[in-house]
Amino acid sequence: MWYPLLVFPLALAGMSIAEPLQKGDHFGTFGPHEPFKQGGPIGSQTPDGFNALGPVVEQPIEFPHYIHVEKMGIDCLYCHTYARRSAVSGIPRLSKCIGCHQSIESVKDKPRIKMLLDYWDKKQAIPWKKVHDEPDFVRFNHERHIQRFIFQQERPTREACGYCHGDVGNMTTARRVKALSMGWCISCHQKDHKLNAVSDETSHGPNDCWQCHK
Amino acid sequence: MSGSGVNRRDFLQIVGLGGTAMALSACGNTSIESGVELVQSYVQPENFVVPGVGVYYASTCLQCASACGIMGRVREGRILKLEGNPNSTISGGKICGLGQAAVQQHYSPDRLTTPMIRENGSLKPATWDKAMALLNATLTSADAPGRRVWLTGPTSGHHQVLLRSLIDAGGATDTVVYDALSTAVEASVNRKLFGVDHPVTVIEKAGLVLSFGNDFLGAGESPVAAARQYARFRKAARRGILVQIEPKMTLTGANADRWVPIKPGTEGVFALGLARELLQRKEYSGGISPALIAAVEPYTQVEVSRITGVRGDLIPHLAGMLWEHAPSLVLAGRYPQGHAHGSRNTAAIALLNVVLQNQGKTLLRAADLPFPQLAPTAGDFKSLAELNKAMAAGQVRSLLIHGSNPVYSAPDFLGFAANLQKVAFKAAWVTELDETAAQCDLVLPLLSPLEDFGTHIPLNQSDGIELSMQQPLMQKLYPETRSFGDVLLDLLKKTKPDSYKAFPDYYGYLKTAIINAKPAFSAQAEDEAFWEETLSAGVLHRAAPLLPLSAMEITPAMIEQPAPGGYEAKYPFSLIPAVSASMRDGRPANLAWLQESPDTLTTVVWDSWAELHPSTAKAMDVREGDVLLIESAQGSIRAKAYLMPGIHPGSVAVPVGQGHDAYGRYATHIGVNPLKILDPIFDQDTGELALYATRVAITKTDRNERFTKDEGATNLQQGRKLVATLAADQVDLSKEMPFVIR
Repeated sequence: MWYPLLVFPLALAGMSIAEPLQKGDHFGTFGPHEPFKQGGPIGSQTPDGFNALGPVVEQPIEFPHYIHVEKMGIDCLYCHTYARRSAVSGIPRLSKCIGCHQSIESVKDKPRIKMLLDYWDKKQAIPWKKVHDEPDFVRFNHERHIQRFIFQQERPTREACGYCHGDVGNMTTARRVKALSMGWCISCHQKDHKLNAVSDETSHGPNDCWQCHK
Repeated sequence: MSGSGVNRRDFLQIVGLGGTAMALSACGNTSIESGVELVQSYVQPENFVVPGVGVYYASTCLQCASACGIMGRVREGRILKLEGNPNSTISGGKICGLGQAAVQQHYSPDRLTTPMIRENGSLKPATWDKAMALLNATLTSADAPGRRVWLTGPTSGHHQVLLRSLIDAGGATDTVVYDALSTAVEASVNRKLFGVDHPVTVIEKAGLVLSFGNDFLGAGESPVAAARQYARFRKAARRGILVQIEPKMTLTGANADRWVPIKPGTEGVFALGLARELLQRKEYSGGISPALIAAVEPYTQVEVSRITGVRGDLIPHLAGMLWEHAPSLVLAGRYPQGHAHGSRNTAAIALLNVVLQNQGKTLLRAADLPFPQLAPTAGDFKSLAELNKAMAAGQVRSLLIHGSNPVYSAPDFLGFAANLQKVAFKAAWVTELDETAAQCDLVLPLLSPLEDFGTHIPLNQSDGIELSMQQPLMQKLYPETRSFGDVLLDLLKKTKPDSYKAFPDYYGYLKTAIINAKPAFSAQAEDEAFWEETLSAGVLHRAAPLLPLSAMEITPAMIEQPAPGGYEAKYPFSLIPAVSASMRDGRPANLAWLQESPDTLTTVVWDSWAELHPSTAKAMDVREGDVLLIESAQGSIRAKAYLMPGIHPGSVAVPVGQGHDAYGRYATHIGVNPLKILDPIFDQDTGELALYATRVAITKTDRNERFTKDEGATNLQQGRKLVATLAADQVDLSKEMPFVIR
């Protein structure tokens, strides 16, 4: 019988060894959907049912996404401009920040802006920490996803970016709020969807090993 | 699985998800990092720079004197890979293994990162200020006796111009250009026969190429350009035929339609036998003097066969092929040049081109360079020998070395290392310490070729006039490395301040020089735009047709061959220091990719070997891997035996390039260096070192070691019928195709 193979994982999950698995059971701390608690402990449960909340990452400047996105209405792709044409989405070049901030008098003396202008004076790149860092054996390509969701399927940018990065527009610095694990990526890649509005033909994302593990 | 509520697919999903969660531990997905690595953006990049997308910049490869134009793929400010530059008429968008490995020279962990000054017998790190002070002292003591010599490898372009200017200004006394694999014998013969050192050999126009050991596809003078021409030669409407005659198979020989082993040194005899056969036809004899016709008369098929070991009936066969597949091209490689009668050997081969009237068809002259001061200077051995003599006599006060490693490549009989000690001040410019630099008093760290500006004129130009630009493909890795051009400019500013103070650095000097070259290339653009375009294209090119070549008078004395034989019984074998495409003169040995690339003929990696013909090995009871002691009158080396059918039975071949004592972690103490044990034999006419004239004795030692090589025992079935074979004439092809091909 196959269930002895599950003894090891079951044991670690804290479930009883003796109970055979029933269809519909979940493992470990996967539970029925709980509301997302901002600032929950690492590894606690995320809105999409995976146990994957990342750590709070301290950045050199506590960049407030919510001011720029919610308040100012700046599109994600304005700053993270390479997402539509490169494998990496790109942390915006310093000259992009300065492009606006060199002439915004009202915030010129705020402490974070002062730090920003200081980096510019020294022509020094800000040492941001990478928040969504896949292991090196995974090759994720932003361009393909952005071209598909935003340019082909015309979904709103903030929603499309949010599929993987969460609601960054309401955060200060980014925090990983999605699992980004292989199983999590595959769970979306396996969803059949209609190819376009007029045909009944459906397809799903690639599930070949080599697409991501070149 | 029957009877349970979970089918196989669900099972795998559950186990998969469960497995993932568990493997990455219960506290979260720790394989997904967050806040560990940095992700820094640019501050203010160019508009076309997109992280993740490579930008290609043009430059020039400096691994040999071919000066192939290359492109480097740069991502996030780092050079990742080199490709050929399609704008270059030399590389045409292609690149060879050495070019690919050039990135490794740039990123080498053994790069010299600070100047080094010798104190109390050993080299210690020092500052550039101290280093330049030492160097400037050599300039100011112009009145003291003794030569101040620049010893360089083959050069061209503006480095050469600055060096010569430095000498003119009294900053040094003279230069010596040394090439361990010099083809100065061929250059001398060409000068006598055709009036130019390097006639252009147009392989693609030939119907038949008869090559006497010229490895144009491998370790030749311009392998990438030659390979491109060779491809067109083979794809011609009437496919070109290659016949290669040499004592040991080269890469070119392995590509030949007909490979002929010949006794080393007797190539000229064969050539004269062939000339005799060709001169039977009045179409050929009409243009040749009666004295020459009489001079080749003694070289009958029987006589030639006796001397060379080649079957006599090959001569009329070849003569017929040369007639049918005209125009032909006859090439002489390093093998015929490397003997005491090397000039005459090579002249006999060159005579064939004259007999076959190839000049003007496949043997032409390159157009004159509008800037002869940039023209390439090929090196030779004779200048090094003269320098060595002067050093031994205490006549050389300072020696400044760039692009040359004679302590490694010069034969032991010269005693170069010992004579180096008699030079009061020795300085070397290197990217990585080598044997010669390790003996110097001052060693200066260079920018790698991928970090520097420069101009280069290719040695072999068969398609117009080309100047190849070199520009940095990334910022310099180490702050204390400097451009050689900048050092020369600094020295010049001290000796001739008025002429050079206008140039802030070598970049400024080159920019001015290139802008001044606008008229030579008929360029219309504005100065700045022209400079940008030139850097972007990577080459400056001007179409110029090849010029005709006329043959000068050839006297019988030029082609006189010595009587064969007369070898000491003590040294029954001839030693062939085999030059390969990857290792050349030993300079690329510190590049791990080239060590890892299998030798094209033996597939051995990271090692040396001694190639023996199987019949020779059998007679000596030598098996593959037996360590042999190979002794000349100058010294000995040990190498494992490799049985190679592609070698003359009376010779042993040891590859050149390994056997370094001090050349980084990838080259040091790997293999042996056959150049060390060469005999002091020189070409009688030019004084060049006879690379292929050394005689050796071979003794079996009682050791046997295994090779690391990429081939299996493909030629040994060890008594099993793994692959059954039949001779071609025993096969009925019609019975071998039972299936219908639609």
